[in-house]
Amino acid sequence: MSMINREVAWRIFAEEFNRSTLETGGSEERSPSYVITPLGAKVNRVYVVGVLTETENIGTPAEPMWRARVTDPTGTYFISAGQYQPGVATALANMEPPTFVAVVGKANTYKPDEETTLVNLRGELIKEVSEEQRDYWILESVKNLKRRLEAVTEASQMEEVSVEELVELGYDADLADGIQLAMEHYGTPSLEKYWRMIEDSLRYILPEYERSESVSQEEDEKDQGIEEEVLKVIQELEDMAEHDNGVEYEKVMNTVIDNEGIDQDKFEEAVNSLRSSGKVYEPVLGNLKIIV
Amino acid sequence: MKEKNELAPHIEDITRALNEKVSKEQIEEELHNYIDIYGVPLGTAKRAIVKKHEGDPQNLFNSAEKRIEDIIGDERSLSIKARIVSINDKEIEVDNEPKSIQYGILGDETGTVPFTSWEKLPIDVEKGDTVGIQNAYANTWNDEPQVNIGSKSTVKLIDSEEVPQFESQIQPCELKDIREGMRNLSVTGRILSVDKKTVNTKNGEKDLYSGVIADETGKAQFSAWHDFGLDVDDVVRIEGGYVRSWRGIPQLSFDDNSDVEFLDDDELPSAEHLGDINVLSISELAKRGGAVDAVIDAVMIDIKSGSGLIFRCPECSRVIQKGACRVHGKVDGESDLRIKGILDDGTGALTVIANRELTEEVLGYDMEEAMDIARDNMNQDVIKDEIEEKLIAQPVKTKGNVTSDDYGLMLIANDLSTKTIDVEEEARKLLDEVRV
Repeated sequence: MSMINREVAWRIFAEEFNRSTLETGGSEERSPSYVITPLGAKVNRVYVVGVLTETENIGTPAEPMWRARVTDPTGTYFISAGQYQPGVATALANMEPPTFVAVVGKANTYKPDEETTLVNLRGELIKEVSEEQRDYWILESVKNLKRRLEAVTEASQMEEVSVEELVELGYDADLADGIQLAMEHYGTPSLEKYWRMIEDSLRYILPEYERSESVSQEEDEKDQGIEEEVLKVIQELEDMAEHDNGVEYEKVMNTVIDNEGIDQDKFEEAVNSLRSSGKVYEPVLGNLKIIV
Repeated sequence: MKEKNELAPHIEDITRALNEKVSKEQIEEELHNYIDIYGVPLGTAKRAIVKKHEGDPQNLFNSAEKRIEDIIGDERSLSIKARIVSINDKEIEVDNEPKSIQYGILGDETGTVPFTSWEKLPIDVEKGDTVGIQNAYANTWNDEPQVNIGSKSTVKLIDSEEVPQFESQIQPCELKDIREGMRNLSVTGRILSVDKKTVNTKNGEKDLYSGVIADETGKAQFSAWHDFGLDVDDVVRIEGGYVRSWRGIPQLSFDDNSDVEFLDDDELPSAEHLGDINVLSISELAKRGGAVDAVIDAVMIDIKSGSGLIFRCPECSRVIQKGACRVHGKVDGESDLRIKGILDDGTGALTVIANRELTEEVLGYDMEEAMDIARDNMNQDVIKDEIEEKLIAQPVKTKGNVTSDDYGLMLIANDLSTKTIDVEEEARKLLDEVRV
């Protein structure tokens, strides 16, 4: 009687996915595990269409372990493919960034150290696609995010988040459950940022908007100031370090947050921006290094 | 204070457990005393009264007795009295051991609920029997409660008068909402197709009029076990229909106990219009278990092996591997084209199967040419590669019947076409919405 449905492939922006630090399930044999995002998506599988910006084989030719980065308008997905993902590994070996790609992958968390939880996708399938297909994906991700934002807005007005009440309001039991788990773990998220993400992403695919119009000049300059500070801190820490594997993400973050009096979101935004503009990279997981 | 009529079934229960040694009036007074004066929980009170009169509390239908509409789906110990609406046997495998289980539908005066008995029931139970079930438990499946009968449960036949007949109030129902086990429905729809078949039943040969009926919310297959003179395009109101399901697809059935009224043509939109409105999300399909002529908008996110140019056994049509059929050995395979893909719309995923004709449309050439291409490349996989190139990451609109089994949902496509969407127009609309 019990039907095993294939896990849905979530259309979800990198920015939201990358903020996830919670994983549930998977303890029993064959039971699926889910990455819970701050807005309550219970993600086992992801479908993302974006720009392939980097590929790298950190394994050997005989036992390849490919890493790739795929960016969307909000951030970067980190993709991996090893010997158990031969199709994706072979495809990555033959792809030349930058190019539009569609990726289906399994959501995965890992802990580079005790305090840090990071997420990536284990590739199941990758294919070069067109810009139109990417735009369609942005539209789907916006719709998905909007639906969850509405649900989280309802949930945050409740004294205590109740799965039953959310279901009564017409949301899926699964989503209601995800939101409850997310709010227990992350607290009430700041929704304004996500609404802005929706607006920015929609403008991204509309020709009448310049891609930077959403950010005012003033904010722009402030952001640049933070980015410069991040670079400065990384440089200082790198100079003190005894190896050249870069410096710990956490250390950089704490120093910058102290110096600039900004919150973690702002810091992460700056790092993402530096990453996508090719100024810093992660030589090993959880470390940052300046690209010279 | 508990309403008197709320306690009435429990007073009955205690009286019966005591073989009517004690008068109802006395029990009523004692129960009232325990519950309303001393605040003792109902279950404890019932046990205490039975013991006090030297009866065996085991004879009680225990305290958590519920009516079906009150079952929420997390009851760990549940007692109900119900009528068997349907019961079926099923063979499953548990740890590689065959095991027979039974499943079906229970009903009382408040509604119906699916049940599964994970052990063969200790007594022979047939459709229409009235049973008392103790120590069952409930869970939910697709948000609907269901009752499970396990090794700790007891089931016994009881007097049919203990369960009042389902109030035969006829309930209007839209086709999108029909679910297995519903009865006494009133459905208004337009007949899109109807065929007469003769089928063998337990009671000999019978004429069956089956087809597809649609309203403004969806479509369903129907089976009429009586000649109502139904014709294509008729608009009818069927009163007293019930729902069975076949491989997950809920079907509307009606027979000579039902009434069919023919209505004016303008009661519903035209057949052409109704044919196009069955657009469903995959999560909705998963809840229903299946659908007729469903239209799905989704992205193709995988093409499975066994797609492209394949060869079938001329005896049994099975797909053959390396020139050999699993059953008939070495055979001269007959070529065919098909697509087995995964469609995902962000709410769920299903397997889609497209036949030769649709595959030829996707490829843009016919099977002859596919054979030529495969020969030139000395590899039949090139056809699958080409399907992947054309379909993966592509938004697709497809239509067909959706069934479900242990492996999930499957759509057999009647139509499959790639979609072009005006992304910009939709993006502008959404931007206007969120900027308010």
